[in-house]
Amino acid sequence: MPNIREVAKRAGVSVATVSRVLNHPERVSPQTKDRIDKIMVEMDFSPNVFARSLNLKRSNSIALIIPDIQNPQNMEIARGVERVAHQKGYNLLLCNTEKDREKEQSYIRMLMEKKIDGIILAFTLLLQADFDEIQKKNIPIILFGQNVLKKNISSVYSDFKEGAFIAVSHLIELGFKRIAYICGGEDHLENRDKTLGYKEALLKAGDKVSEEMIFQGKDDIDSGYLAALKLLKQTPRPDAVFVANDLMAMGAIDALRTEGIRVPEDISIIGYDNIKMSALIEPKLTTVSWPVYKMGLISARILIEEVENSGDVKMTQNIFLSPKLKIRKSCGHEARVSEIFD
Amino acid sequence: MELSSNLMGISLKNPLILSSGPMSRSGEMMIKALKAGASAVVTETIINEIRPNVRPRIINRGEGLQNIRLYSEFSLEEWEREIGIVKEHGGVVIANILAHSPSEMAFLARTVEKYGVDALELGVSSPHGEGLSIQGCDPLNLYKMVKAVVESVNIPVMVKLSPSVNNLAALADAVERAGAKGISAINTVRSILGVNIDEMTPLLPTYGGYSGEPIRPIGLGAVATICQTVDLSVSGIGGISRFSHLLEYLMLGADTCQLQSALILHGFSLIREILDELQSWMEEKKFSSLGDIRGKALNHLKSFDEIVLEPKIASGLQDCPLPRCTLCSDSCTYNALEKNEKDLVEINRELCTGCGLCISICPRDCFSMAWNG
Repeated sequence: MPNIREVAKRAGVSVATVSRVLNHPERVSPQTKDRIDKIMVEMDFSPNVFARSLNLKRSNSIALIIPDIQNPQNMEIARGVERVAHQKGYNLLLCNTEKDREKEQSYIRMLMEKKIDGIILAFTLLLQADFDEIQKKNIPIILFGQNVLKKNISSVYSDFKEGAFIAVSHLIELGFKRIAYICGGEDHLENRDKTLGYKEALLKAGDKVSEEMIFQGKDDIDSGYLAALKLLKQTPRPDAVFVANDLMAMGAIDALRTEGIRVPEDISIIGYDNIKMSALIEPKLTTVSWPVYKMGLISARILIEEVENSGDVKMTQNIFLSPKLKIRKSCGHEARVSEIFD
Repeated sequence: MELSSNLMGISLKNPLILSSGPMSRSGEMMIKALKAGASAVVTETIINEIRPNVRPRIINRGEGLQNIRLYSEFSLEEWEREIGIVKEHGGVVIANILAHSPSEMAFLARTVEKYGVDALELGVSSPHGEGLSIQGCDPLNLYKMVKAVVESVNIPVMVKLSPSVNNLAALADAVERAGAKGISAINTVRSILGVNIDEMTPLLPTYGGYSGEPIRPIGLGAVATICQTVDLSVSGIGGISRFSHLLEYLMLGADTCQLQSALILHGFSLIREILDELQSWMEEKKFSSLGDIRGKALNHLKSFDEIVLEPKIASGLQDCPLPRCTLCSDSCTYNALEKNEKDLVEINRELCTGCGLCISICPRDCFSMAWNG
């Protein structure tokens, strides 16, 4: 029986093209596919299915591990990953850790047993020993979100310290003097980074950082509501609040409204994430946007590339995407041009 | 007679390239352009995150077009096939890519390189959204972006620049220092094409990119500046719809030219017309290759200090062949031209300051410049 090289030679194409016809016909023009299919029939060529499955050893499944399924931001990651996975013929397993390291570790064990082809870890709480374990099994992983680069592990990440810094600097430029901060769960590195960014912006502007102006939240709407009630007890009252995510910011706006406080007239609010709902609430939320859906797409692209080229020398890719300010109405800013272009 | 050209070391059979835009939205469209005679094609802008294009998004006035956001609606995965189709056809394909950070741009560059493209064009100067102000205007950011790409791929990299900047030379210099092999210019010009005065609304709902004939002078100016600044392969873009426009760009130093708007308005057959006319002109002028004309006009660009002040004034036929025409006298800013009741044009030698406007105003080429006295 002829081999793939002979088919390629007869068709006047590269071996890679014949291989694409066999494995990813959607990536080849219909004309070429028809022509090569015909040649394969003429030459009585059939790919050795058994050898291929031994060779590939793939489950055609990848996993995405997220910390909180209730946060729409995590669903945007999943939307991006799923889109690419489906297009490339992979199933997607979604694992929700509820910000629990042990649950994340048990998911990893389960996925390895299932011979998962690759894993995307969003805002992981795993320890170095866990990474070593996964790498021993040669399972490609992608780190999503946090600004921690690990040797030999590709990542797609943003900078939450910088995001918080530009948010708080925006409030300072608008003239606010008493800027409070509702922070998220401190287990997560990205939340600790946001706290650093908040403090750095104040210090850079020559303002003092007061721990009394920092209110603990838990990343959800309710904790934002409660934190806002607490900060109202401060005298003098804060004139602006940086909230570590949009969900908590929405809770905070709700609390302020309940207490008869107007946003932005009495207190300005700036969030983080630019979830879709932030453009729908009243006032429309000024926030920090980072391209989470696109980062989901890129993560899946790199992961599948690593899965499919597992025999080749691996190239670690670290893709960084900047956060940027999305100016709307919750800080009393009216300049439409920046809303259009930024 | 040779029309062969060189784009960043890639040999092309002629200097005419299909630029990035809706006419290069698919493999099928790009093959049509190649069959019509284009020597290479630039894909519509390939991005990581596709979004459906808004409707309507393109309007026309005269020979000018305004578009709002025309990026590809094909995903990165789908482009593998579209590029593959053109490569199978045997065409030179340049991928226009757009991203928002150096590492993202490098990722896209590596990916489309694997798809088989011959070169890259970085679409850093799109007039829509933030790209222009963050990457396309800032030499340092541009340098980092270009360098990240150049270090990631083995194919030549070209950078598309915008005229909507005040530091074009510094940007071109940053591109060269970062290791790119070419510059294409200009991108569309940020604009609002008009306002519907009955509805009191802009014709399109946001700022867009202006292209077509009206932007050619802006393109020529930008290309000349770039060619005077860097030693790179330059691809001139903006308002080309005739062979003479292409010649203008080449004479100002461009190695190749790209067109899109004229093809949107008049179809792919225009490519053959332009090439045929170019060929005839070259034969008539007895030039053997485009090398004979490239950059020739650039050498005549002078600084104000170098322009010798000659005491010239308007001179011309006294007997006007167009009885009712008063274009020259109406537009003479210095009141030096008058047309009397017998249709005789009188030039007042005392008042004429030699501005020269009448020469280009007169539809019958009646005027020239002559020494006063």
